[in-house]
Amino acid sequence: MELFAVNIIDGLVTGLLLFMLSSGLTLIFSMMGVLNFAHASFYMIGAYFGYTIALYVGFWPALIIAPLMVGLFGAFVERYGLRRVHQYGHVPELIFTFGLAILIEEIVQFIWGKNQMPFSTPEVLDFAAFSIAAFDIQAYKIFMIFISIAIFGGLLLVLTRTRVGLIIQAALSHPRTVEALGHNVPLVFMGVFGVGAGLAGVAGVIAGPVLGTFPGMAVVLGSIVFVTIVIGGLGSLWGALVASLLIGWVTTFAATYNLEMASLLTAIGLSPPDDMSESLLRDAWTLSLPQVGPILPYLLMVLVLVFRPYGLFGKRGT
Amino acid sequence: MSVPALELRGLRKSFGKTEIIRGVDLSIAKGERHALIGPNGAGKSTLFNLISGRFSPTEGAIRLHGEDISGMESFLINRRGLSRSFQITNIFPKMTVFENVRCALLWPAGFRYSWWQMVNKQAHLTEEADRILDSINLLKRRDVPAGLLAYSEQRALEIGITVGGGADVTMLDEPTAGMSRSETTYIVELIAKVTEGKTLIMVEHDMPVVFGLADNISVLVYGEIIATGEPEAVRADRKVQEAYLGAALEAEEAAGH
Amino acid sequence: MTYFASTGTRGAAAKTDLLKTAMPWIVAAIVLMILPQVFGQSSSITIMNQMWITVVFALAYNMLLGQGGMLSFGHAVYMGLGGFFVMHLMNYIEIYDLPVPLPVLPIFGGLAGMFFAALIGLFQTRSAGTSFAMITLGVGELIAACSVIITAFFGGEEGISGDRTMGLPFFGVEFLHQDEVYYLIAFWMFISVLGMYLFSRTPLGRMANAVRDNPERAEFLGYSARWVRYGSFVASGFFCGIAGALFAVNYEILTEENLNLVTSGTILLVAFLGGVGFFAGPIVGAVLFTLLQTVMSLHTEIWALYLGALFVAVVMFFPQGLTGLIAMHAGPFKLRTMHKLAVPYCKTILPAIISILAVMFMMEVMFHVREATAGDDMMSVMGTEFSSHSPIAWILGTAVAVGGFMIARRNAPALRQSWHEANTPGGGK
Repeated sequence: MELFAVNIIDGLVTGLLLFMLSSGLTLIFSMMGVLNFAHASFYMIGAYFGYTIALYVGFWPALIIAPLMVGLFGAFVERYGLRRVHQYGHVPELIFTFGLAILIEEIVQFIWGKNQMPFSTPEVLDFAAFSIAAFDIQAYKIFMIFISIAIFGGLLLVLTRTRVGLIIQAALSHPRTVEALGHNVPLVFMGVFGVGAGLAGVAGVIAGPVLGTFPGMAVVLGSIVFVTIVIGGLGSLWGALVASLLIGWVTTFAATYNLEMASLLTAIGLSPPDDMSESLLRDAWTLSLPQVGPILPYLLMVLVLVFRPYGLFGKRGT
Repeated sequence: MSVPALELRGLRKSFGKTEIIRGVDLSIAKGERHALIGPNGAGKSTLFNLISGRFSPTEGAIRLHGEDISGMESFLINRRGLSRSFQITNIFPKMTVFENVRCALLWPAGFRYSWWQMVNKQAHLTEEADRILDSINLLKRRDVPAGLLAYSEQRALEIGITVGGGADVTMLDEPTAGMSRSETTYIVELIAKVTEGKTLIMVEHDMPVVFGLADNISVLVYGEIIATGEPEAVRADRKVQEAYLGAALEAEEAAGH
Repeated sequence: MTYFASTGTRGAAAKTDLLKTAMPWIVAAIVLMILPQVFGQSSSITIMNQMWITVVFALAYNMLLGQGGMLSFGHAVYMGLGGFFVMHLMNYIEIYDLPVPLPVLPIFGGLAGMFFAALIGLFQTRSAGTSFAMITLGVGELIAACSVIITAFFGGEEGISGDRTMGLPFFGVEFLHQDEVYYLIAFWMFISVLGMYLFSRTPLGRMANAVRDNPERAEFLGYSARWVRYGSFVASGFFCGIAGALFAVNYEILTEENLNLVTSGTILLVAFLGGVGFFAGPIVGAVLFTLLQTVMSLHTEIWALYLGALFVAVVMFFPQGLTGLIAMHAGPFKLRTMHKLAVPYCKTILPAIISILAVMFMMEVMFHVREATAGDDMMSVMGTEFSSHSPIAWILGTAVAVGGFMIARRNAPALRQSWHEANTPGGGK
């Protein structure tokens, strides 16, 4: 029971982190029609910038400066890279962001090396906030939850209550109309792309100490983020939230409950083969839930696509 | 009386809460040339899209040669003998003019999804495609990538592709849009030639074209047909004059047509 | 070129037409057979084997991308699955002493690839464009992730390995040597390329092009865009499977790497590099990429960085690929104005190339400074040894890079002008 509560918290942390990434991605897709493969790369750059800046001025200033730098970099990419490729169509745009992701990973490796960076959580938060039975809940995790929620709250406020937010919402679905009304839509695009990148950067700074700061971190998280927005429905913010939390909880729970396929199979009356090493079905017998955990998001995606091709909350034609 | 080529019964279409087509009844006989006119926003394109399968009706029935095709997929409707052109030129820009026309012939010739036959070896395909190219006067542009043609050439190609497959109901969506007087005359002659003996449904804004080509005219205003019948009768109809034609006809008379 | 040869001469005209179209293929076949004689070292054979396998895979991939307009990020799975299947076949042949000669196996690889493509394509081809790309990514990652779990078929971390010499000897050949394998690979590559070329000339192949250009229009010609795409997908899966089988035969081992995103991404780069708009594009891309990768990895550790930069540069500045670039010259070639471009090209492209080389030089220096053990200052580039800490190296490198770039930029407008002239009949002055 206590493990359940711990998993709820852990899953929430993962889910919110995932949402920080998937929300930006789905917003960018909704507005510009481009799926930014390099989104997880912004996440990675955020972590690396955060680490390097923290070395000089500490974690807290890094938390502000690093995302800003990533956001600026994102705006730069949009203005000088994406906008140029946009004229060739959607497929080249996708290929461009894909190539960019590869290039960024190589550059990060070039500058910082292949090893994991010793990015550690700030000492101020390096204690157990409270305990649930035998499990300590790190204060840092609570911090992660609160800051994620705070950022969303802020974004929601900006999008729905401010003038800029209204323009952005309108440009999300009708950019040309908004442009005809005199607003600088290319600037809006650049801004949204930059903010999306900045969001990913924040996620990077926060998650870097916990999930590890290494050149492969974009790839690991990258495909999960795409799976998330496909499950949620391309372009749907609510879908991204639901899917992120779902995947966060599913993967967390799967990792901790060591259910074995073998017990399930014997329960329904089948008996294990005599020679495990030669049997064709040996994998079915040795399978355990933690092993399956990492593929669950993909499995979920395939299932959703078979029954609801546009995702849980997707609209036809996005 | 024989089965009408196309029949619409109580057709309605709403997008969300907005009802665009508000109860349309129409019957078009085989071999008839029918023009659909009306002010902008009346729903002509929507009606076309409903018939050709791009949208499904919210209510009502569409019957092609007596068979209910409401909500059917476009390619299934096309296989039953209905083809259409588009307001914005819709051809295959990266393929040559010849290939564009040949593609229109593939399904009607029965090739289906064949991956074991070479199209270049099918002499009858090549001959038929060249014959169609000749009838739309594009034979000399045969090997040019379609995207490089002039606008009116592309429109002619579009018509060629539309009728090439041999469908007996042809729908043309504003075939003379954006053309000069001389280009329009040329295209109209083309249309008359290639749709000889077939059922033709046309959306048009150009009045001389409409009155010249059509056997019957329907006037669509705010999603409803307010008048349908022979050109002179429609022209004289009070409602039509009030709603639509008046200004257009006056302008014509002033210009001396 | 007349299609209307009169009945009397149709026989003779058809025969010369056939010879004309068959000629490039005959020449290619001869070249393929001679190559190992010309480049006989075992390292050259290795490179060529890798090249031909990549050619098949890249062409099969382009059946989707260039011919069908479908972008897939997970296509490696069909090559991988075909390869794993053939690997198991090879092992069965060995264990049960089956009288099956090795050259026959690629067919089974093709069938395996086709089977999986037929299965997965059923729901993948329901969408197009970006949705399709995302689904291929998810499915690809799913299968790659599953491969670590399903050890029975995929062998887990070590993959599945086998012995190609255990098959029934083929006219006495047991395929122990690299060059024997070369002929097997070259043969199947030739057959596959021919097959894919002929496919593009079938009704399905033509409609695939049409659906790529304008799916809506294709539907109004009686074709379901979805099923046309499915057809391309299945056919592509078949040839991917053959590529996988050739991989299995050549390397005698298949691992999770053959299924993952890196492999899928690489083949995308290869196809794009060569140019997806022409049938021969991926062939050019495969040859060029294999050469680049092999040569670069011998001389530098950061070759992946260069390839990544090349990828982005191609997408941004030359999305039509190498074959597209060459095709751009068709105009000046026909107008016989190619010579007008010669000098401007030299003045712009040469400095640009030198600048790029200088940048690469600087990157190598910087990399060495960071990576080398403390105290080991010496590095060598093209045989010259020097200290990576030497300020001269840094200043020189930066100067050449910047200088070259500026010269190229200054001469670029002249290139544009002469390009315009070369394309205008009559000089255009």
